Amino acid sequence: MQDMQTKPNGPVAAAFVAAGIGSLVMGIFVVLNEISPDISKFLAFDKNFGLGSGVGALSGKAFLATAAYLVSWVVLHLYARGKEVNFSRWFAVALILVFVGFALTFPPIFEFIVDLFPKAE
Amino acid sequence: MEFTERELWTVIHGLVLGTLFLLAFGGGLAGLYSLKAQLLTEEGVAERTPRLLIGSVVMAVVAWLTVWTGTFIVYPWYRATPPKGLDLTVQSEALTDFPRYWLLASEKTAEWHKLGMEWKEHVAWMAPYLATAVAFAVVYYGAQLVRRGEIRRAAIIFFTLAFLAAGVAGLFGAFITKAAAVV
Repeated sequence: MQDMQTKPNGPVAAAFVAAGIGSLVMGIFVVLNEISPDISKFLAFDKNFGLGSGVGALSGKAFLATAAYLVSWVVLHLYARGKEVNFSRWFAVALILVFVGFALTFPPIFEFIVDLFPKAE
Repeated sequence: MEFTERELWTVIHGLVLGTLFLLAFGGGLAGLYSLKAQLLTEEGVAERTPRLLIGSVVMAVVAWLTVWTGTFIVYPWYRATPPKGLDLTVQSEALTDFPRYWLLASEKTAEWHKLGMEWKEHVAWMAPYLATAVAFAVVYYGAQLVRRGEIRRAAIIFFTLAFLAAGVAGLFGAFITKAAAVV
């Protein structure tokens, strides 16, 4: 329930969930980069799009995760601005996204997932 | 006494920005934790809100600068490819200019890359996302945050997670630099 003397919590909830989305997208691209050589080549934004030099696939992973974070923040902000949302629920979602993102970047976990997929020729 | 360009950037990335991050985290966390209506007068809230604002914004800005310098300046030196013909199975003097390959040349040091760098280079990017969300909450609410206990607690959790992400990156960065420095 909103404290009537404060601003609505929607924009803050949106910022927290967006951070979770950025974290998750980073984790997803870490796994995809290991699974598919084609995706790995695409993620070399330094070679493909001139984003840095010698950074390799990390340039693409960082760019796409940050883009997902910023775009999702704008979209969620537009949705939640001026609204009082169930902050506990939004924050729980954000925490889950962050923890899954964390987990997917941990090498023993992403290597386990990669091993579930057939090796590319 | 002098630094090479690479050493200088490594110091800026790890030591200067790392120290600022730590200071901002300490100040921000203390500010968030103590921002309780029952502990503070209105004057007390007004007095510490600017400090909390500075701490959280500095932490977010420093987190962005740290991952940017790490990814786009220092990391390419770390993963530089050795010239053809250089033996990649022996930790030779010539291979020390190529830290990634130097680490992988021995089973005793390979995990610093396979586990340490592989985790560090990715998890570090979460720190600015999380820290920026907290900074936004502090800027958005300002002194009103004292009346928003659930958001203050969430900010403490995100602030701590940002610190943990940066901590993993910083700790492995220090160990990796000790094992195979970028020089």
